[in-house]
Amino acid sequence: MPANQSQKFETFAALHVPGDPVILYNIWDVGSALAVVKAGARALATGSHPVGDASGFGDAHQVPLDYVFANAGRIAAAVDPLPLTVDFEGAYSTDPDEGGRNVAALKESGAVGCNFEDQLVGGEGVHPLGEQVRRIAAIRDAVGGDFFINARTDLFIKIEQRDDALVDQVIERGKAFAGAGASGFFVPRLADPRQIERIVREVPLPLNVIAFPGAPPKAEWAAAGVARISHGPFPHRALMAQLTEAASAAIN
Amino acid sequence: MASDLFQRFAALHVSGDPLILFNAWDAGSAQAVAKAGAKAVATGSASVAMANGFGDGQEVPLEFALANARRIAAAVDLPVTVDFEGAYSDEPAEGARNFAKLAATGAIGCNFEDQIVGGEGLHPIPAQAARIAAARHAVGPDFFINVRTDLFLKAPPETHDEAMLAEAIERAKAYADAGASGFFVPMLGDPGFLRRLCADCPVPVNFMTYPGCPSNAEVAATGVARISHGPFPYMDLMAKFGEMAREAIA
Repeated sequence: MPANQSQKFETFAALHVPGDPVILYNIWDVGSALAVVKAGARALATGSHPVGDASGFGDAHQVPLDYVFANAGRIAAAVDPLPLTVDFEGAYSTDPDEGGRNVAALKESGAVGCNFEDQLVGGEGVHPLGEQVRRIAAIRDAVGGDFFINARTDLFIKIEQRDDALVDQVIERGKAFAGAGASGFFVPRLADPRQIERIVREVPLPLNVIAFPGAPPKAEWAAAGVARISHGPFPHRALMAQLTEAASAAIN
Repeated sequence: MASDLFQRFAALHVSGDPLILFNAWDAGSAQAVAKAGAKAVATGSASVAMANGFGDGQEVPLEFALANARRIAAAVDLPVTVDFEGAYSDEPAEGARNFAKLAATGAIGCNFEDQIVGGEGLHPIPAQAARIAAARHAVGPDFFINVRTDLFLKAPPETHDEAMLAEAIERAKAYADAGASGFFVPMLGDPGFLRRLCADCPVPVNFMTYPGCPSNAEVAATGVARISHGPFPYMDLMAKFGEMAREAIA
């Protein structure tokens, strides 16, 4: 673990300002990370889907843990002193202690934070709240104070009726995750500024949403109180479409 | 299966109607190139190195290079050729063992350089011929050994002269005798020299594009049978990625 890692964590945590969100343009390897650094990024975030697609393993815990750690280690070293957060899916275990050990190993690779999902990876639905809280608490125990646990709820991915009742459930989870030691709250597919405002008001954590093609302008989300905007799988997908286009022009 | 892919790949090398390879570096980029209608996939060693934060010149660990090749070969239904630099050894027997490992990944061919990786200049012709012969012995006939001469790469274009062309032809013949399937001459861009090389070279000739090089049609007319793109697809794409990120972050 690099000597300046705790400092990098502080830098990263301080970038989460409600109303003035840190923009994370998701990467998957050293080369993509360096391109984003050159573009002026203040922090780096991997996407599990891009890492799975680029390496050919696939998403949903298909990328072997050893590969995830080695890849994170290479990226963290290449972008030093900028902070790196890793999309770690469900920490490769439904067991709280094993998940904690896995996140501790991820921290050893040089990452200062990670995303951690509540969906049942490879299964259906989301973990019951009590169970997810135990998983987050175990991770916090394992990594200490200087690691950004961006606790993600997949409710908006799993349930298409994205109404006020669902927002209530999201808020209940956000509060419980905060109590268990989460550093941030991540709600993919959340997009409506009114819903964002409610969640920001009630959940005591910086809120992360994903920008997607056709999403509202970032300024609108910022005004609603978002503290972090990431891009998920979209940068890698868009880039690979460009590669197909370039290859097609060269070949034909 | 591997044998079928090799036969398909070898047959794509047609003098005057070259196979176009748009170089990839990982499974995702290989699939993106396949989607464009590519007939085969080729890696570039510099691209693989840059994507993963290693230096070029065999600094990508051999195990990583082999695992990457395996993942790419599994990700596409196309012949895959790997830029294998100097096969990670100057020593023929060890190089041959590395070739066999590469063939076991599902790749059906590779580039193999005559420059002394990490040193100066090129391997003398007999030494390089011995390395090629050992590699051929290790992989059998169904593997496309694209032997690369770095004569022109090592010298500025304005110094490319008759003596170098003569040496390139001499190397091409010796490499073909030793079991090479193809001959690769990066940074030779003079159409007249390419034409004469193609006329005298007993195996298909591979040209690499570079910024400002002659057009594919001009190159094809010299008798070249394969055109690859080296590190340029990767470098161009990462420049685009930087622009996309800048726009998103701003």
